[in-house]
Amino acid sequence: MEENCKDNNCIIEIKDITKVYRIGKIEVKALRGADLDILSGEFVAIMGPSGSGKSTLMNIIGCLDTPDSGKFLLENIDVSKLNDNQLAEIRNKKIGFVFQTFNLLSRSDAVRNVELPLIYTAGGTAGNRKTKIFDSLKSVGLIGWEKHKPSELSGGQRQRVAIARALVNDPAIILADEPTGNLDSVTGEEIMAIFQKLNREGKTILLVTHELDIARHASRIIYLRDGKIFREEKIDNPIDALEILEKMPRLEDKLSQ
Amino acid sequence: MRRLFESIKIAFQSLVSNKLRAFLTMLGIIIGVGAVVAMMSIGTGAQESIIKSVQDIGSNLIIVTPGNRQEEQQGFKQMLEDDKDKEALKVEDVKMIEKEATLIKGAAPAVLSSSIIAYLNKNTRASVYASSEKAEYIYNFEIEKGQFYTASDVQNSANVVVIGHTVINKLFGKIDPVGKIIKVDGKNFTVIGIIKSKGTDQFGNDQDNSISMPITTAQHKLYGIDYINMIIAQSTSENNIDQASKEVEKILRRAHNLRTDEKNDFTVQNQTQLLDIVGTIINIFTITISSIAGISLLVGGIGIMNIMLVSVTERTREIGIRKAVGAKNKDILFQFLVESVVLSITGGILGILFAVAVSIILNKFTILEPVISAFPIILAITFSTIVGLFFGIYPAMRAARLNPIAALRYE
Repeated sequence: MEENCKDNNCIIEIKDITKVYRIGKIEVKALRGADLDILSGEFVAIMGPSGSGKSTLMNIIGCLDTPDSGKFLLENIDVSKLNDNQLAEIRNKKIGFVFQTFNLLSRSDAVRNVELPLIYTAGGTAGNRKTKIFDSLKSVGLIGWEKHKPSELSGGQRQRVAIARALVNDPAIILADEPTGNLDSVTGEEIMAIFQKLNREGKTILLVTHELDIARHASRIIYLRDGKIFREEKIDNPIDALEILEKMPRLEDKLSQ
Repeated sequence: MRRLFESIKIAFQSLVSNKLRAFLTMLGIIIGVGAVVAMMSIGTGAQESIIKSVQDIGSNLIIVTPGNRQEEQQGFKQMLEDDKDKEALKVEDVKMIEKEATLIKGAAPAVLSSSIIAYLNKNTRASVYASSEKAEYIYNFEIEKGQFYTASDVQNSANVVVIGHTVINKLFGKIDPVGKIIKVDGKNFTVIGIIKSKGTDQFGNDQDNSISMPITTAQHKLYGIDYINMIIAQSTSENNIDQASKEVEKILRRAHNLRTDEKNDFTVQNQTQLLDIVGTIINIFTITISSIAGISLLVGGIGIMNIMLVSVTERTREIGIRKAVGAKNKDILFQFLVESVVLSITGGILGILFAVAVSIILNKFTILEPVISAFPIILAITFSTIVGLFFGIYPAMRAARLNPIAALRYE
């Protein structure tokens, strides 16, 4: 695993990071020396029971938090030395978040939601922005739904808006935290199909899940336990979400029978 | 710039989605700003109408009245002095002023009274301003038709009058009064001119319900007196009115043979003194109302702070999302600060509109004539911006300092 990063193709390089939370007088050791390397263009799933440090690891990789010790390089930048403003800039340009609960702005329509990261990006013309928003919405198949607010969209559509928002600034990595957790299996599969398509187009995707069926869509699964990488598994034949969708009975088919 | 526009847009969206709450929050500002602007407009209006009515008479006028009104005198002694000095001013004093004063352009005596005016079978009571021919320009008696009485009319105590519009309406109706004979307290007078309408004065008195005649006629033929009620003098310019007043005082003291230890038996006043008094009263009025309004703005500001704190809590998750996609602390600070300023400025603008509405209503239904000038509006906008910034900074800082992870997890 350590050898992975020798050829400089590494997008994430984590070495022996630790993180301790203090809740009152109790110390919680969320991470106790985790190592992780992720290559550019990989699709990696992270699994582990609750309390294993998944969320903390995701927050650190997502630059929402910094490790107490250890090394974390994101595209060869040492993130642990950056201040709040620099972290915000990295989140803006290099990372796209997709959450379990979608986390859309309920008062804004799809376009405004997708636009959100662009508001905090310096430069760029209005026309440029519009193209980016359109391209993002197109790649998740939401053309025609631009003016709809989250309350007027289905769960799957909301998650697609969230993915479009994550894509709009063309980030290096997409971090998806239980993206199918609030969706039924068909819709979940559709979302996974989008992630697989994005991965084929070259995006690095990091997916946190506790469902093995979902994790097996990735090319590698990392198991976390007690704040350390416990085991990892290469998936030689990842599940192809499109194939699954083909096989799934469709509502229209059932109705026509 | 784009970010400011963006923030203002976001702020308006959030206000519109909570209309009632936003309105109630703004109420303090609306009342405060409305009160200041309305009161300042009323003050300005009152001041302007008083200045205008003073200027109608002439702004470089010096008025001398009998009796000493500068000294604080009370009760019985005052009554005695008043009575003793009532006849202190004579026509000779006017002649003396005209002859000796260097800063006086002209002076006119006046006997002020009221009499019954009759024409055929109709009669009415009107004010009588008896004076010399100089009153035409000193007292601004503009003659609309006919002519004013002349120096020889004064010399000869001629029975001639000029009359105001109210008197004409009451006695003549549509008939042309010039050349007609009317009775003043039973004596015959010829109407020789019509005084141009002056409307009401600042106290609401009808200035057109009056007639004017030569002072000698009034003194000798009507009232049988040798004293006069008032001297009106005109200084050579508005700027030297105070020196001119002093000069008049000196001349009259000499004319009345007053020793240095004796008090004046007359009072010299000028229009600037009057205006100063009016100005002071209006300032006190404005300051009082403004302090009340200031308290209202303070309360309004606290309301804004309260609602902004609620808003920050309600939108914790939104703040988390914004931070996750790259908003910096200062972006969040700015967004909430703009929101509180938008809230307070909107309140300020509504307050100004409220004041305008109040002014229009007052103008229509009362004798007040409020004048809305730029100053209170600029003041109102400035103050509401300051209130928004001052009371918005703390909630905005709290929003900016939120930890993004905790904010994203907030339910």
